[in-house]
Amino acid sequence: MARSGSKKFRRIFWLGALAVVLGLGVAATFYILYLDHLVTRQFEGRRWTLPAQVYAAPLELYAGLALSGGDLEHELQRLQYRRVERLEHPGSYRVQGSRIDVALRAARFADEESRPAAILSVVSTDKGIESIRDSDGKDLPIVRLEPLLIGSIFPIHGEDRIVVTPQEVPTLLPQALATVEDRKFYSHHGVDPTAIMRALWQNMRAGQIEQGGSTLTQQLVKSYFLDPRRTLGRKVREAIMAISLDAHFSKQDLMNAYINEIFLGQDGDRAIHGFGLASQFYFGKPLSELDLSEVALLVAVVRGPTYYDPRRHPDRVRARRDMVLKLMAERGIVKQADALAAEKKPLGVTARAAGAYFPAYLDFVRRTLRRDYHEQDLTEAGLRIYTSLEPRAQEQAEKALERELARLDKQKKYPDSKLEGAVVVTSPQSGDVIAIVGSRNVGYDGFNRALDARRAMGSLVKPFIYLTAFETGRYNAATVVQDAPVAIKLANGTVWRPENFTRQTYGPVPVVHALAESLNLATVGVGMDVGLPKITETLGRFGLEHLPAQVPAMLLGTIEVTPMEVAQLYNGLANGGFRTPLRAVRAVISAEGKALKAFPLEVTPVATPEVVFEVDRMMEQVMEKGTGRAAKAVLPANLVVAGKSGTSSDYHDNWFAGFSGSHLAVVWVGYDDNLPTGFTGSSGALPIWARLMAGLGTTSWEAPMPESLAETWIDYSSGLRVDKSCSDPNTVPIAVPVGTELPMKPGCGGNSLQSIVERAGEWIRDLLH
Amino acid sequence: MMFKAAPAGKKGPYFVVLLLMAATLAGCSVFQHPPEAPSSPPGANSPSGPGTAQPQPAPPSEATPVPEPPKAPPKQFKLSPATHALVQQAHNQAHAGAFAPAAATLERALRIEPENPLLWIELGQIRLSENNPGQADAMGRKALALATGDPQAQASSWRLIAESLRVRGRNQEAADADKKAGALSTRS
Repeated sequence: MARSGSKKFRRIFWLGALAVVLGLGVAATFYILYLDHLVTRQFEGRRWTLPAQVYAAPLELYAGLALSGGDLEHELQRLQYRRVERLEHPGSYRVQGSRIDVALRAARFADEESRPAAILSVVSTDKGIESIRDSDGKDLPIVRLEPLLIGSIFPIHGEDRIVVTPQEVPTLLPQALATVEDRKFYSHHGVDPTAIMRALWQNMRAGQIEQGGSTLTQQLVKSYFLDPRRTLGRKVREAIMAISLDAHFSKQDLMNAYINEIFLGQDGDRAIHGFGLASQFYFGKPLSELDLSEVALLVAVVRGPTYYDPRRHPDRVRARRDMVLKLMAERGIVKQADALAAEKKPLGVTARAAGAYFPAYLDFVRRTLRRDYHEQDLTEAGLRIYTSLEPRAQEQAEKALERELARLDKQKKYPDSKLEGAVVVTSPQSGDVIAIVGSRNVGYDGFNRALDARRAMGSLVKPFIYLTAFETGRYNAATVVQDAPVAIKLANGTVWRPENFTRQTYGPVPVVHALAESLNLATVGVGMDVGLPKITETLGRFGLEHLPAQVPAMLLGTIEVTPMEVAQLYNGLANGGFRTPLRAVRAVISAEGKALKAFPLEVTPVATPEVVFEVDRMMEQVMEKGTGRAAKAVLPANLVVAGKSGTSSDYHDNWFAGFSGSHLAVVWVGYDDNLPTGFTGSSGALPIWARLMAGLGTTSWEAPMPESLAETWIDYSSGLRVDKSCSDPNTVPIAVPVGTELPMKPGCGGNSLQSIVERAGEWIRDLLH
Repeated sequence: MMFKAAPAGKKGPYFVVLLLMAATLAGCSVFQHPPEAPSSPPGANSPSGPGTAQPQPAPPSEATPVPEPPKAPPKQFKLSPATHALVQQAHNQAHAGAFAPAAATLERALRIEPENPLLWIELGQIRLSENNPGQADAMGRKALALATGDPQAQASSWRLIAESLRVRGRNQEAADADKKAGALSTRS
């Protein structure tokens, strides 16, 4: 009985145990299947999770371009081309007198999917490029350098990466990684028990965790799920997932995933993931171009990107790099001599992180794209975004703002408040925005004044008042207007009595004089005569979106605008009366190379070429004789530019907006808390504008004069017509409609009969020539 | 300014014709907006009208009309080797029906020579092919403003404008534009 009872009990016990084991087995199987599903899904998903890459405008090279040999070298260095004695691989150049041979990298453009690598010979003198030939000596009419990568749009949690294909990876890299991080990578099944035992033993001896026994696959899993806890449960989970990945994917796939996944540095709130981005971040060049010492350095960083930060702890990272090189030589991956030579090399890390240089510009790009794309498309879909940024112009704009504000700091009224500034530069005819500076801390991704500082435009409104006046047909540049006290009764019953800046009045003056000297009273008079509705309408036509309230004070620029809005308004003046939407993005290309969206050039006529020319010609006099004349000392002697200063009441904001033939620049200077600066547009913003224009290597403003206009010379004070031959420094050239009747100034050249005879004489001389 | 540097050319016989042409053209604005196209009424210098500060009449003196400037010899816009290569490429792209890439190629050319009316005309023609007559018209007018002094380029601009008007059924305006193109063609 007892026996059979215990037998029965035993049977029940074993059956129960079996059921539990089976149950656990089923549960474990489900758990493993679950983990397997999780990790493979993550692995597959990651292949396509890549932030949009943002590129600057590519530099076009062609015979006749004003680019000296030195300039070309500078541009190549910006793209991290190396100067060598013998051209070997793409990304290098050599200098042979006036000839520069370039081993051009393969590149992708907005309108060209793959331009293969090629060798070029560029002959360039001080005047510019003379010829460009290919390796067969054939003349090339036009070639472009690859566009500079200026940043990427990464998600809020901050993971940024550039994904590379196995073909873009130097063969040394996987070998070095396996050697240093996971010796049995190519033979184990995802985990390496001997490595774990070795690590355990070493950690026990050291009394702390010194070495991880993780395989590359385990590290990959760890990176996917970002769990910082060091628990046994997590370790087991990781091990199961690693075995699962190893079973599903080839070693090469896993290695490539590792190369694209692993964390390699931190840049503010941007986490640098993958060797593709790390190569750009630390060396400013593509991964495929790294040499042995550079590969070894990145492998050294893997172990602890903060501890081995090459910019902060160069000594630490150097010691570990040399250890990596030794290990590679020991295992026979590289020759002993090569490893020794590599050890002698400096770290070669760039001073600043490449990319994300231009936060204000990237901000504008992001805002443009958010109108059409979801955040996720931008941060995950691997888009390529081609912009109009010109790194050279951007550098000039940053430099001009930084230097001149530092100079103004010494004269400022409020030592405790920080004077701030913003700059926008465009190519007027194409509407390309080529540079944006949003703060004097140019690399700081904060308040973007170029887009968000909405301030009174002051006298920048005046050209639009005179343009509207010319459109009525009742005014021209020589029309004499009265600069005299004005009293205007406002709707609320009060009386508005504006004043000139100098608090003086100037009596009768020609319009060109009133604009050039920025006379308030004369302008208010003209503005009231023309009518506020018409002037508001003009501003709307030129692209102002928020139309101001029609109060008389708008004539003195109480209208609040951002620097970018001013750029849009003045672009129409610089572009002969054609409005062109300002654009930063040229094209968006999908990860598969399909053009998703283009922002094509559009022009809309918003004023006749005639009135715009008349106004532009007066703005030339602002620079010659008026409030912009101080720029002459800084600008090249024969450069013709046109512009206008602006100062809001009590010196809160000061502006300068102006253009040459090829560039428009708008500069704002002021305090964030809206304190008076004590500067006028001419003393605050103008020096920045002038320095910027001088640095751009720009061309003269020389729009063709419409055939229905004629150039004539008038006396700057009285507006009376004078003969050009009259060598009086007080005369200025203006453009007026042909047939406009202008009274002659008595005296010099006053006799019109005489001038007719002179003209006839000239004509006869021409004929006889 | 260009007329300042007017070199002596073989302009004798054409001179009067040029003046007449220009005089007729001076009246017609290329622009449809705003309605008060700038003309130059006599006495523009002493306007009258309501306002708080009247423009002042100039001190009495003989008022003489500003004469038309002597005409510069006609110029002729050309393409540089670089922009020529890009225009060729754009033609090939357009031929294959790839209008957007062709336009992008022409924009590359325009960044190099933004003041060359021939490139604006090329881009306007692509816009016509893309069935965007509004932009074709605008590009034609942009080209026209830049083409001052080059009757050939002016004529081409007017032809582009004419075509863009015809597409939109504005046949009378199209005919006028064509007439202007014709007159200019004989001038060169």
